[in-house]
Amino acid sequence: MAAQEDHAAEVTGVVKSFGRQAALQGVSLRLRRGEVYGLLGPNGSGKTTLIRCLLGLVKPDAGSVRVLGRLMPDLNVLSRIGYMTQTAALYPDLTVLENLRFFAAINGAEAHLTEALRFVDLEDRPDSVVATLSGGMRTRASLACAIVHRPELLLLDEPTVGVDPQLRRRLWDQFREMADGGTTLLISSHVMDEAERCQRLGLIRFGRLLAEGTVEELKEQAGVEKLEDAFLQLSAGEPR
Amino acid sequence: MKPRRVLAITRRIFAQFRHDRRTLALLFVVPLVILSLLYYLLRGGGGQPAVGVVNLDNGPLGAVVARQLESSSQVKASQIDLTTAQSRLRDDRLAGYIVLPTNFSSDALQQGVLRPEVHLEGSQPAQSGTVLQALSQSLLAALGTLPSQPGLRPPRLDLRVTYLYGGPQLDTLDYFGGAFIGLVVFFLVFVITCVAFLRERSQGTLERLMASPLRRGEIVLGYMLGFTILALIQAAEVLLFSLYVLKVHNSGSVLLIFAFEALMALSAVNLGIFLSMFARTEFQAVQFIPLVVAPQLLLSGVIFPVSSEPTWLQAVSRALPLTYVVDGLRDVMLKGADLSWAAIQLDAAVLGGFCVLMIVAAGATLRRRVA
Ligand SMILES: Nc1ncnc2c1ncn2[C@@H]1O[C@H](COP(=O)(O)OP(=O)(O)O)[C@@H](O)[C@H]1O
Ligand SMILES: [Mg+2]
Repeated sequence: MAAQEDHAAEVTGVVKSFGRQAALQGVSLRLRRGEVYGLLGPNGSGKTTLIRCLLGLVKPDAGSVRVLGRLMPDLNVLSRIGYMTQTAALYPDLTVLENLRFFAAINGAEAHLTEALRFVDLEDRPDSVVATLSGGMRTRASLACAIVHRPELLLLDEPTVGVDPQLRRRLWDQFREMADGGTTLLISSHVMDEAERCQRLGLIRFGRLLAEGTVEELKEQAGVEKLEDAFLQLSAGEPR
Repeated sequence: MKPRRVLAITRRIFAQFRHDRRTLALLFVVPLVILSLLYYLLRGGGGQPAVGVVNLDNGPLGAVVARQLESSSQVKASQIDLTTAQSRLRDDRLAGYIVLPTNFSSDALQQGVLRPEVHLEGSQPAQSGTVLQALSQSLLAALGTLPSQPGLRPPRLDLRVTYLYGGPQLDTLDYFGGAFIGLVVFFLVFVITCVAFLRERSQGTLERLMASPLRRGEIVLGYMLGFTILALIQAAEVLLFSLYVLKVHNSGSVLLIFAFEALMALSAVNLGIFLSMFARTEFQAVQFIPLVVAPQLLLSGVIFPVSSEPTWLQAVSRALPLTYVVDGLRDVMLKGADLSWAAIQLDAAVLGGFCVLMIVAAGATLRRRVA
């Protein structure tokens, strides 16, 4: 199907519950190649679950997930995806470089270690043990591990939570830079002001995608000035 | 110091236990299980070495001694013929047998000498001691039944003891040494692997591994290799230290001992990975330690020989990997067994099978815990 070529990922009618807890209640979305897509929603709205569905880590109860043209789960696609977990999941007793080398090796791409370090401004700390790093440095190291194999699709789960404003700005510049280089990015967040920097936004709540579009489109749709108001407006009256 | 604040902590601890059923079970069920096991090991007819009595005596005294032995509470004695006794000793079904020779009575009555022959299996010093003790008590008791003749001195004991394996020079360390080489390595490797794999889950890196092209089998195998190599170095160190510094007796091939340790390390690593799947925190993983250690310590023959256990407990023992490790190591070190022995082949085969089972189980549970 040629139409899929423009889409880095296609989620169609995905439903997932954990026991009686519904996490996703029929989510459909498409990521266009090279775009920065912001998945915006409060805690517990299903952002992490959706990302794990994209990776094939969660098997949907219903619906289908296609990533880079392949039906998930598919191990062979995974080396083309980068994933930054919500908390910086690194080996705390290893150095930055050792972590980086490990994640590069399991993805079969060890050629770009220094480049990845430079990209996240850690080129002067390769031999620091992760446990001794500050929170911001840990986030950067985690990002480096997610991009070291040069993925085509990058899934970032709340990458800017607990990060100071300077670093946050720097990170968004980098996301932009990667998208310009052709990478597709899905960035989840529960912070509205960051969302302005995404090309398209999806508002998710209670496991449902409430609205989708550019920032302008969303504001227009809700008839309000601020994105935060748009979100409140659009989610008003939604059933639990 | 405010009692209310102290009580707040106490109350919180009880609340935590209420949520942690597994710890509660551990606290209240496991001690009973362990004590019951001990009961069956020590009172359930277990613990007594099996002894054969071959009575060839033409006179009356041999029958009396044999009867005394049979009623002894220290050993499980039964009268059998010589060839049966010899073959059972080799098959490990007897701790020893006692021959009361043809002129046992006449020697005792006319020359004043008691000449029983004792043939011991010999690889278990404690059992050998018990057999000798039971014999001397039975002899004393038998002499007591004789009508007392004034002026006659009590007969002198001229004991002839032979050992199938080892000998009187084997001490308790020689007996336990072999088993402990296995035990120490098994448990340390198990604990370290279990906790290390669990950390992978709790620090979130397992999620990353799962989101990479790594296959589950590759993860399990990678872990296995890493920890097995560590375990082998540890095993070599323990072995060399035991043999050359502590001078634990060894009549077999050092390489064969090492091969057993390697098999055992493999099963310990995979058991660790497998069990770590069932724990969510390191605290829970630590709880597996007594569950794995206690039954194996009691039932694998390290302390009490498996053959002295009640039959149903023997079945349990045969399901534990460490039983085969202990048996194999003792056969090699005390009896000088080599690969041509059927017993060694069996031990090695069962251990190999256990390794494969654990590898498959570890891989399968890894898959299940992800979805
Ligand atoms: N593995 C899981 N087991 C049980 N419930 C889960 C699991 N993962 C997510 N949930 C539940 O699904 C809902 C969505 O969670 P999540 O996707 O983590 O939300 P978000 O990332 O937006 O905060 C929550 O109610 C959460 O408790
Ligand atoms: Mg989340």
